[in-house]
Amino acid sequence: MKKFLLSFMVLVFAFMQVRAQVRTVAGKVTSSEDGTALPGVSVLVKGTSSGSVTDIDGNYSVTIPDGSGTLIFSFIGLATKEVEVGSQSVVNVDMATDAKQLSEVIVVGYGTQRKEELTGSLNVIDATKLEQIPTSTFQDALQGTSGLQVVSNDGAPGAAVSVRVRGIGSITASNEPLYVIDGMPVSQGSISQTDFGNGGRSSNVLASLNPNDIESLVVLKDAAALAIFGSRGANGVVLINTKSGKKGKAKVDLKLQYGFSDFAFDNLLEPLNRDQYRQLYVEGYVNAGTLTEQEAIDLYATQFPEDANTDWLDEISQTGTTSQYDLSFQGGTDKLSYYISGSYFDQEGVVIENKFERYSSRINLSADITDKLKITNNLNISYFEQRGITDGTRWQAPFYLAYLMAPAVPVLDDQGRYYGEHTFFMGANNPVGHLNEDERELQQSRIIDNLSLSYRITDDISFKSTWAIDILNVDEHIFANGRYGDGRNIGGSVNDATTDIVDWMGSHTLNYGKTFNSVHNFDALLGYEAQKTTTQVLEASGEGFSHPDLKTLSSAANPTAAIGSETESSYNSVFSRLNYDYEGTYYLQLSLRNDGSSKFGPANRRATFWSVGLGYTLSNAGFMQNISAIDFLKLRTSYGTVGNSGIGNFDWAGLWGFTREYDGQPGAAPSQVANENLTWETQEYFNIGMDLNMFNNRISIGLEYFNRTSSDLILDRPLSNTTGFRNVSQNVGDMENNGIELTLDGKIIETPDFYLSAGFNITFLNNELTFLPEPIVDGTKRREEGRDFQEYYLYGWAGVDPANGDPLWFTDSTKSEVTNNINEAERFYDGKSATPDFYGRFNLNAGYKGLSIGLQFNYQFGNYLYDNPGWVIHGDGRFTPRSTSTYAFENRWQNPGDEALFPQHRWGGNQASNTRNSSRYLFEGDFIRLKTINIGYDLPSSIVSKLKLRSLKVYTNLNNIWTWVADDQLHFDPEQTINGVYNTVTPINKTVSFGVNIGL
Amino acid sequence: MKLIYKSLIIFTLVVISSCSEDFLELTPQQSISNDDFLKTFDDFQSAILGGYDQMQNSDWYGRYMILVPDVMGEDVKQNASANRAKEWAEYSGAPVDFIPEEFWAELYEGINIANSMINAEFEAPTSLTEDFNQILGEAYALRALAYFDLVRLFAQHYTYTSDASHLGVPIVLEFDVEAKPARNTVAEVYSQIIDDFNQAISLMSIDPANAGYFSREAAQALLSRVYLYMEDFGQAESLATAVISSGKFSLVSAADYPMQFFNGNSPEAILEINFNLADNPGADHIGGMYKESGYGDYLPSEDLLNLIPDGDVRSTLFRIDTTSIGGIYGNLRVDKYPSEGADIATDNVPVIRLSEVYLIRAEARAKSSDDAGAQADLNLIRQRALPTAPDVTATGADLITEILNERRIELAFEGHSIFDVTRNELDVVRDDCTAPANACSISYPNDRFILAIPIEETDVNPNMVQNDSYGQ
Repeated sequence: MKKFLLSFMVLVFAFMQVRAQVRTVAGKVTSSEDGTALPGVSVLVKGTSSGSVTDIDGNYSVTIPDGSGTLIFSFIGLATKEVEVGSQSVVNVDMATDAKQLSEVIVVGYGTQRKEELTGSLNVIDATKLEQIPTSTFQDALQGTSGLQVVSNDGAPGAAVSVRVRGIGSITASNEPLYVIDGMPVSQGSISQTDFGNGGRSSNVLASLNPNDIESLVVLKDAAALAIFGSRGANGVVLINTKSGKKGKAKVDLKLQYGFSDFAFDNLLEPLNRDQYRQLYVEGYVNAGTLTEQEAIDLYATQFPEDANTDWLDEISQTGTTSQYDLSFQGGTDKLSYYISGSYFDQEGVVIENKFERYSSRINLSADITDKLKITNNLNISYFEQRGITDGTRWQAPFYLAYLMAPAVPVLDDQGRYYGEHTFFMGANNPVGHLNEDERELQQSRIIDNLSLSYRITDDISFKSTWAIDILNVDEHIFANGRYGDGRNIGGSVNDATTDIVDWMGSHTLNYGKTFNSVHNFDALLGYEAQKTTTQVLEASGEGFSHPDLKTLSSAANPTAAIGSETESSYNSVFSRLNYDYEGTYYLQLSLRNDGSSKFGPANRRATFWSVGLGYTLSNAGFMQNISAIDFLKLRTSYGTVGNSGIGNFDWAGLWGFTREYDGQPGAAPSQVANENLTWETQEYFNIGMDLNMFNNRISIGLEYFNRTSSDLILDRPLSNTTGFRNVSQNVGDMENNGIELTLDGKIIETPDFYLSAGFNITFLNNELTFLPEPIVDGTKRREEGRDFQEYYLYGWAGVDPANGDPLWFTDSTKSEVTNNINEAERFYDGKSATPDFYGRFNLNAGYKGLSIGLQFNYQFGNYLYDNPGWVIHGDGRFTPRSTSTYAFENRWQNPGDEALFPQHRWGGNQASNTRNSSRYLFEGDFIRLKTINIGYDLPSSIVSKLKLRSLKVYTNLNNIWTWVADDQLHFDPEQTINGVYNTVTPINKTVSFGVNIGL
Repeated sequence: MKLIYKSLIIFTLVVISSCSEDFLELTPQQSISNDDFLKTFDDFQSAILGGYDQMQNSDWYGRYMILVPDVMGEDVKQNASANRAKEWAEYSGAPVDFIPEEFWAELYEGINIANSMINAEFEAPTSLTEDFNQILGEAYALRALAYFDLVRLFAQHYTYTSDASHLGVPIVLEFDVEAKPARNTVAEVYSQIIDDFNQAISLMSIDPANAGYFSREAAQALLSRVYLYMEDFGQAESLATAVISSGKFSLVSAADYPMQFFNGNSPEAILEINFNLADNPGADHIGGMYKESGYGDYLPSEDLLNLIPDGDVRSTLFRIDTTSIGGIYGNLRVDKYPSEGADIATDNVPVIRLSEVYLIRAEARAKSSDDAGAQADLNLIRQRALPTAPDVTATGADLITEILNERRIELAFEGHSIFDVTRNELDVVRDDCTAPANACSISYPNDRFILAIPIEETDVNPNMVQNDSYGQ
């Protein structure tokens, strides 16, 4: 009996144990900030694979073994919480945001990584820097990023921006980084068939993107980050990640802004007034000996009967305005989330009639079809209209005419029309008339759609397929009237063009991620991608308009050209990447990619690119635990190859072109020399860096050294012209860029109510052409092996002879002798180049309760700038009878003994004093600019909730408000050229804007 | 497990669908590759039209070939606003200037077009042999003319040395992308020119549709000019006579004279460059250099105007411009290329016309002591322009001077000035001069009578010797 009872008790006890292994615990998870329920929070039972996810009301329920158990609550952006479950069956938890964690998950090529896992070099620019920026393109927000030079080529609305990541890697192929929107490399840069684009400066297809739609920009800078982009990664990659939905209550945001702009640089040239011009006019003929003083005065009266006093610069400029409105909706359930936005951006430039107006809408949807299948579709539709101006040194260019057109010419004639009687003077061009009556317009429509499908095959393996399409249509219309200006002899001219680009991409990846023995973390990626771009162009022009109000192509009496063309290019690639880390301390990354492109000669169509990255989190090592000051210290290095295929579609082919015509019949002639061996430019990248966080993450320091060697550079190698060609595209040249980047960020004061932080970065850059078979003279520069690629090769200006006002040059680089005869002088190197020695940013941020103030300074030192239009505007009278600037007027030589900056003014010129490619037109480019001051106030929740709002912020932004330059002779904006050569463009603007962000 | 296989299959299918190598083999849509061209008769027709289009270029007969030789002479003076050929007009040019580069590159491009056609291996079917030979003849004539223009611009005249052994230009007869040729002697270049024109003459037998194309007579006329420059007067005379007696051309009357380029294809045009409303160099046409509705950079000099007799129809080729500067710049404009307004660049540009052939023969005869023959030809030209002009009575050296003066009047603004001065070993004397003082009188011989070899060539080609007195 006892035995039976004992075994029965044991059985019952055992039974109870078994039954007790499955116990349910439930609860609610809320936010510690505002108590709202948190759906989608992962609840895991520690040490097991069982768990659950909180529902829309924050409730969860899990089963755990009785007696012991720890629940881990985790969610992106919130601090993970572990709770020991004793005997309770209800466990409620509140979770706080973990700002550190938010920035740690970074989108990299074809995937994401956490910041501490990175072996490569990259920078993240978050959404706050992109919100309501007062320019048409998001690229402006890249300024100040370590290692990057960002230049607005043109201050006009909608203009292009040049970006250089760690120097210049190519000579003739593109130097711009690849822009990738949500995984799709998109059409970028200036696309224009007419001269609306002003040689690539004034139009920008990326201006279609609303910066407010961007969640983050990630700039990839070294081989470990870039090799996965293979043949297009050589100049860096900018990943643009648009905002996605967030589960939870819908957030509605309305942003409104209004701003005013003017020229940023305060030392721009000023035009002459009438009295100064008349004085110079008479002097010019007398000094040249061609007319007597009286004859010159009489001639002036004949040529300028109106004798007006027009300030042309003033007439063409105005205060610019910018207004923008952005409305967005973000929210979702646990199965479907969305981000929807609509925006309007309107900018009137600092030149009259200049404008840029954009309408844009976005719908980003994400749906969990099943618990394994997720679908995302990002659709962006945008349309913008732009009115531009001619820049450079064409007679029509308003900023050129502003100084060259005589003040004595009036704006209007006696009939109230724009004055056009001065046919002897630069073709009777009237910049005010041109801006008002001529037309220079561009409209762009763009649709970008990204459809992707992710399927979680098993817990470790997932498959993702992305199909994306970028449809771009650019319409241009340029009209010149027939009464005055460039169209006057032909009765007016019109030039219309349409460009249609359809770019589709398919990308498929297989991902495998697993942890072995809880210390070996593997992540492997295998992928395939194909992309094809088809471009169609239609262009027509005509001349002869019978009425000034008729400005369209069908009103032209004489069609002069009709051109239609089509071209295409395609890529396909196979790629793979492996990430391995041991316990979050030792990291290894390998990537491999094989690309093929239609742009290269049949002999060399495909190439392979690879990279290796290593990382060591030193702060995890045992001995480091005692050093409390150091929170995180990581060393990383990478090495690999990437390629550059930014060239034309058929540069390798020997071709006969058919643009010839004679006697009404079409003809053909050889148009391109063959090079079947034309292939990729390759770059070898080496990077080594250190990331250090100290004093409780109060101070973070980053230090990196990079070395970027480009080889097989594609050059238009000059040929003897006796071959019938001037050059041929060949892979011949090597270049090296190396440098150091240092970033320092410190949270000086961090209290609940008040904070003060400062940041600083500096990039040192060094460039050298390591191999070039023969030196190449290219305008102001000469490319020679062993020298900086952008070193100037100029005549040495030696000033003005005080005795007679003659121009003087050094005969050679020894500068021991001067001469006033340009044929006795030779060009030489003088250790000056357009590559800066160092550049970077400095910023200061402070806040007290809801008030915040931020300042950012950008600086650049060591480069030199060349004034390209100088030889005309400051030509000492070479171009009769064009006017000049007050600077030239006040500094010209007049009497023997004058120590003057400019030679004597003579109509017809003064002994070729304005010879181009002379150091006379060279300036130091060192500058410091206060790029942004942000002052904002977030109204406190007490007021905000009374207004039934979620948040309310008012702010003012001041951009480019102050500039210092080292060279007080510099008379144009130092930030307007990426290659050192300045052309007459609309100056960069300084802007003051006021805005309100309302959160509902 | 099944799922993994399923997904791998889908993956590979997707990959294969765009994986063929054809995906990467695209062909350009607006051009034809070298391997596929000059394979049919039509290809050759297109190519020779490409050659004529090359001659239309403003750097060749569109503007600068007509302008530069004249601004270097005595009959054209600069306006105050001149800024295109200024350096050459003032004899202060340098190898970095753009005009030598554009001449050099564009003329050799024309030579390459001709070489491609001449060197192509093509057998025309018998029904097309005559037409094909005509085109081939045009190619030879194009090449000869290009070399003639190059050697006149960049090398001293033929008789500068007794055996023409002074430096000429490189002779390139086939395409070699790596070629860095040295300069051939002037004798060798003229020999090549003569061979090419003779080939052209033997191949061509068809009268072209209009004077815008090379013809047998055009080749003969140009060759007679070549022989005149070489001072081979016998050959010059016989070729000139061949052209004149072909009967295909006749001198226009004085009434039709002013509009001959406006209308184009006049009875006396032997070779002209055709321009029309759809196909013209616009503001870059030679006409625009002289008219105030264009750039108006160049003016007629008093030196020329003083040579023209009163009542001569050629004095109507000038008109008064009321908006001009006056002073030393005067108030006259050249009206030889009369189109204005929307048509401004549609005037045809003469390469050679019958009047010049008569003057070539006159000069050749006078220099061979056939004064009577020379006087007859000179009378024809004079009395066509001024019917009441008396017959020529001068002989010997005086007769030659009169013929040279007649050339200045007749061929004014057609790109002959400096060549006529230097081949006669004369000085440039500008009495009516708007250039700086040191450019108002240039004495013969002079290194600066020819252009500099462009720096784009000398930078690349170590075998190229620069012309004397031009620096680097």
